[in-house]
Amino acid sequence: MRLPRFEYIEPINFEGALDLLYIHKDNAKVLAGGTDLLVRMKKGLLKPKIIISLKALKELSYIKKDDSYIKIGARTSIADIIASDLIKKEACALFEACEKIGAVTIQHYRGTIGGNILQDNRCIHYNQSAFHRSGRQPCHKDGGKICYARDASDRCNSTCQSDGATALMALGANITLVRKGTERIIDLDNFYTTDGIMPFAMESNELLKEIVIPIQGGKSSYKRLAYRSAIDYPIVSAGVFLKSSDTSKNEIEDARIVVGAIARAPIFLAKASSFLKGKKFNDISAFKKAADISMDNASTFAVHNVGSTLEYRCAMVSEMVFQALKEAAIVTQE
Amino acid sequence: MATNISFILNGDEISYEVKDHWTLSHLLREEMGLIGTKEGCGNGECGACTVIVDKLAVNSCLYLAIEVEGKIVETIEGLASTSGALHPIQQSFVKNGGIQCGFCSPGMIMSSKALLDKNPDANHEEIKHALAGNICRCTGYVQILESVEAVKNMGGQNE
Amino acid sequence: MSKSNSDFSVVGKRIPKLDAAQKAMGRAEYIQDIKLPGMLYGRILYSKYAHANIVKIDTSKAVALSGVHAVLTGEDVPEKMKMGFIKDNPPIKKGKVCSFRDEVAAVAAISPEIAKKALDLIEIEYEEQIGIFDPEKAMEKDSPLVHGHLKSNVLKMPWDIHYGDVEKAEKESAFVVEDRFTTQWVTHCCLGTSGAIALFDANDNLTIHTNTQIPSLAQKDFLESLKAMGLENKRVRVIKPIIGGGFGSKLDTYAYEHIAILLAHKCRKPVKIAFDRVEEFKATSTRQPTIIYIKQGCDKNGKLTFRDMRMVLDNGAHTSWGATTPSVMLMPISSLYRVENVKYVAKCVYTNNTYSQAMRGYGNPQATFAIESSMDMLAEKAGIDRIEIRRINRNQSGDETPQGLKITTCGLEECIDAVEKELKFDGKNEKGVGTGIASLIHVGGGARIYGSDGCGAILKMDDYGKVDVFTGGTDMGQGLDNIIAQIVAEELGLLAEDINVVHSDTDICPWDVGAHASRSTFVAGNAALGAAKKVKQKIQKFASKLFDVPAEKIEFKDKLVFVPGDQEKSMPLGKLLRKAHFSPGGTMLMAEYFYDPDNQNMGKELKGNMSMTYSFGAHGAKVKVDEETGKVEVLEYVAAHDVGRAINPLLLEGQVYGGVVMGLGYALTEEVTVKDGEIMNANFRDYKLFTAKDAVKIKAPIIETDDKDGPFGAKGIGEPGCVPTAPAIANAIYDAVGVRIKDLPITPEKVLVALKKKND
Repeated sequence: MRLPRFEYIEPINFEGALDLLYIHKDNAKVLAGGTDLLVRMKKGLLKPKIIISLKALKELSYIKKDDSYIKIGARTSIADIIASDLIKKEACALFEACEKIGAVTIQHYRGTIGGNILQDNRCIHYNQSAFHRSGRQPCHKDGGKICYARDASDRCNSTCQSDGATALMALGANITLVRKGTERIIDLDNFYTTDGIMPFAMESNELLKEIVIPIQGGKSSYKRLAYRSAIDYPIVSAGVFLKSSDTSKNEIEDARIVVGAIARAPIFLAKASSFLKGKKFNDISAFKKAADISMDNASTFAVHNVGSTLEYRCAMVSEMVFQALKEAAIVTQE
Repeated sequence: MATNISFILNGDEISYEVKDHWTLSHLLREEMGLIGTKEGCGNGECGACTVIVDKLAVNSCLYLAIEVEGKIVETIEGLASTSGALHPIQQSFVKNGGIQCGFCSPGMIMSSKALLDKNPDANHEEIKHALAGNICRCTGYVQILESVEAVKNMGGQNE
Repeated sequence: MSKSNSDFSVVGKRIPKLDAAQKAMGRAEYIQDIKLPGMLYGRILYSKYAHANIVKIDTSKAVALSGVHAVLTGEDVPEKMKMGFIKDNPPIKKGKVCSFRDEVAAVAAISPEIAKKALDLIEIEYEEQIGIFDPEKAMEKDSPLVHGHLKSNVLKMPWDIHYGDVEKAEKESAFVVEDRFTTQWVTHCCLGTSGAIALFDANDNLTIHTNTQIPSLAQKDFLESLKAMGLENKRVRVIKPIIGGGFGSKLDTYAYEHIAILLAHKCRKPVKIAFDRVEEFKATSTRQPTIIYIKQGCDKNGKLTFRDMRMVLDNGAHTSWGATTPSVMLMPISSLYRVENVKYVAKCVYTNNTYSQAMRGYGNPQATFAIESSMDMLAEKAGIDRIEIRRINRNQSGDETPQGLKITTCGLEECIDAVEKELKFDGKNEKGVGTGIASLIHVGGGARIYGSDGCGAILKMDDYGKVDVFTGGTDMGQGLDNIIAQIVAEELGLLAEDINVVHSDTDICPWDVGAHASRSTFVAGNAALGAAKKVKQKIQKFASKLFDVPAEKIEFKDKLVFVPGDQEKSMPLGKLLRKAHFSPGGTMLMAEYFYDPDNQNMGKELKGNMSMTYSFGAHGAKVKVDEETGKVEVLEYVAAHDVGRAINPLLLEGQVYGGVVMGLGYALTEEVTVKDGEIMNANFRDYKLFTAKDAVKIKAPIIETDDKDGPFGAKGIGEPGCVPTAPAIANAIYDAVGVRIKDLPITPEKVLVALKKKND
């Protein structure tokens, strides 16, 4: 399978990449590992004139501890994250998420964390071949006004299936986006738009530089459901973070529950999260209740698309959240 | 656009003029005639095109040829010794029934090599994990996994 | 007296595949790897609708594109050029399309990119028609018609069979169970995608390199195409390169092959059409999906009294071998276990879906899923142990079944024993864990589907004691070349590596009906054995003069020709052959043999002994069901088969393991999802084949029954591995959590819904 033609440019440093993005904007796409981008190009979903490769930008590949933060360069490979003891210890959900991405050969070595959280939303219709899509009116994501995933829907129902995004959002991470002359930091909570067409708030001249995870002394976990043990995207996933109170180790002071692969973006579930505050770490029924609240809340945002039926995926939100909470609680208690 | 790149291919220094949009599998198969690297899907889903770049198993269908500049590339053609003797991993696949139709075999063997080069004592789960991106329709994986099991601890290097 | 494996020196040995080394080195050339001088690249344009009239096609822009050598539409296809056994499928459609995979145009160009670009420039105006996608609805009287010139969507097929008296037997039964099962579309997923290169010589003779399992029958199809093109009395040479898997997908000729022929003829250059993965999913055929109604009963002791089955088969828009799968489904329906009264009605119905073909098991996995699920249900109703009911009704050597199948050797009981030995069936597993068993019968000694079930072999000795065997059989990775080499080597006292097996080139190799029905070991093996015996006699005759002893006293072993007990009378085979060739009035040592088994075509009565012998097997599965998610994990799997004799246990186990995992995919994860006729998961991410990480621990006990008609006692084993897998899993799930899933694949969701229903 061949790629459409493009011009390849390999900036030698970060500034050079920003310059190129500033000049080419929408005509350019940034290539890191290529495991998402090149597939989209082969399917005719993208036809960039310019490919800006991050190959030479080794400075974007790092995992480091800086005060009470973990900082991860956007070009860090999935394999490096899996191998990091720091991540395993302080951001276990991210470790668990990365471990489940794709298969070793491609995703882990070539795939990058930046590419993973910036992967486009998927859809049973939109991700078909160009020929398939050419046979009909364009869908919302293709610039049209129809949704083939769900009849008569007035908006795009594509789904965010990024494992990394769900885990990082649960960890309360933020990201640094840079464009020529300026940079901004945005919480992942606010980065994902819940718009299937433009799933994240990023300008075409911006480059993802860094992901920052606060070290809060809590424990996190990530669970996902897929039919197979490898290759698959999740059909539903959950990332959770639990922190014990300083005064009582058995009491939950802070909780974050995020579900993924169910909606247009990973969803932070505020109600279910706050329900857990003040609950005990060994209160399984509270976890069950939080999981059920999660399901109720997530169902509002759920889209009927990838992999399985909406009913099943919604039902599994509860199970994944419950499993993740139990695991995080056990780790906390140890 | 075309660019001249230099890289090491199976131990030889290579200089080649590549077009920007060529994938590594295209360069190997269509331009250089190294047909041992197969392409089963073109989208990084089947692993038939697996080659080793700088010691890591990667799918050459999702790797731009231009990006192997300065890198060390190993393909199935480079595994057997110059005298023609099969690499121990190849021998093990032959001996243990790891090969039926053979279309997945080069990729499967390259993934195995990348694993055993790094982790000669890989356990069963680690082997399964390392081969998870290589799809086989003939063998049900049983004899492939046996092939890798049988050669571990002896097979990272050429004899 | 039957022989034991220790009596053999080559047969029964785990000899690695003879072509494995070149495959391991990446030197094997598949169709993707072959380039001929001056070759053009062909590409096919498919329909954008499931059902539509073609109002207008404008190819002018494509024709004008630089680098394009030919553009074809349905108008360019000769009227009589049609595919399929009822010839209802022209390679490019004219005026009307009936499915998304219908070909509407094709191009040949100097590069794949230009060919693709040319397709994009073809403008077609369609007028969409109502599509019909549900075969049961398509059977209704007022259903829209897929083919307007026919009166009904129901095909004229003969599947209405009644042996014994089912009504009477039902009345007399102590226990009866009845249910509906469905099976899905699945597809072969050969790792090497389809492709062909066609070229004509100056005299309009065709050579076609193509991925096929049926070189001789494909040759016939292509000759008919040439005839339709007005090319009378031409020759066709079919060469099959090494293929990246078959599994039945290459048992019919496909549009792309005929289109490559048309393009090559028009361009006067070699034209290659090679599928990409999406095309492979969309434009090659699936396993026949089914809707199955089954009713069966037993007496108070658990003895089967009758089996009554009705099926609706979604034929898709065109007809290929999927429509004849009932001929093989009939075998388990009439003959899996002893059951005297059998009824079977199957209707094939045209829809605007994709059409089906042969796929490993050829209808047997579908029928066996219903039968073996139902057997467990019957056992439960009758209060009989599920292993016991199978023992009570097991087939036995010497049986003749209602269909007229003659069971010469039967190791079913031993297979059941082997499964029971490996797994616990006492229902005392931990929570969520269960075991299941299911048996199988399959043709093991050829299958007379066509007028002939024959295969030829030509055997030629060289000067050095090596042998070239030209077989009609087709190796597609399963290892037929090994089997033939081992059989011939055994007979002539040589090593397998002394035998060079040449296959799949119709200019060189003798005739055969193809690699299907698990027949190659048995039929091609017997043909090679016959030729080896003939050449052996010739050598004996020659040596008898040399040694001055009667021919029958001369034996062959360790590359020697000798008279036992007389050390003087011994000579290396090579030396003897040189003597034969170089002596004045010399002789050439060569033999041919055509083996056509003495099996029967099913006549109008749909009765007859279709195979010389039958393979049996029993599979056992141990599963764990996650009651929160519905996910099923296969913990252990045992697949015991009566194989007659294992010519090569290494390869045989490979066939079983591969079959089982294909069967597990069928049971649990694989499904071609189709929405209004269109395939929605044409990639390996969404079509869920097992990965290495999902690999299952499998044991494959081999039961040898030494069949009198098989080469060295062997039966066929290519397909059985995937036949009873789905019911073994379904039965294990029921044992584990008490829910019975009747629709394949058994997804976590279906399990969970059933669990909820059960607990409510």
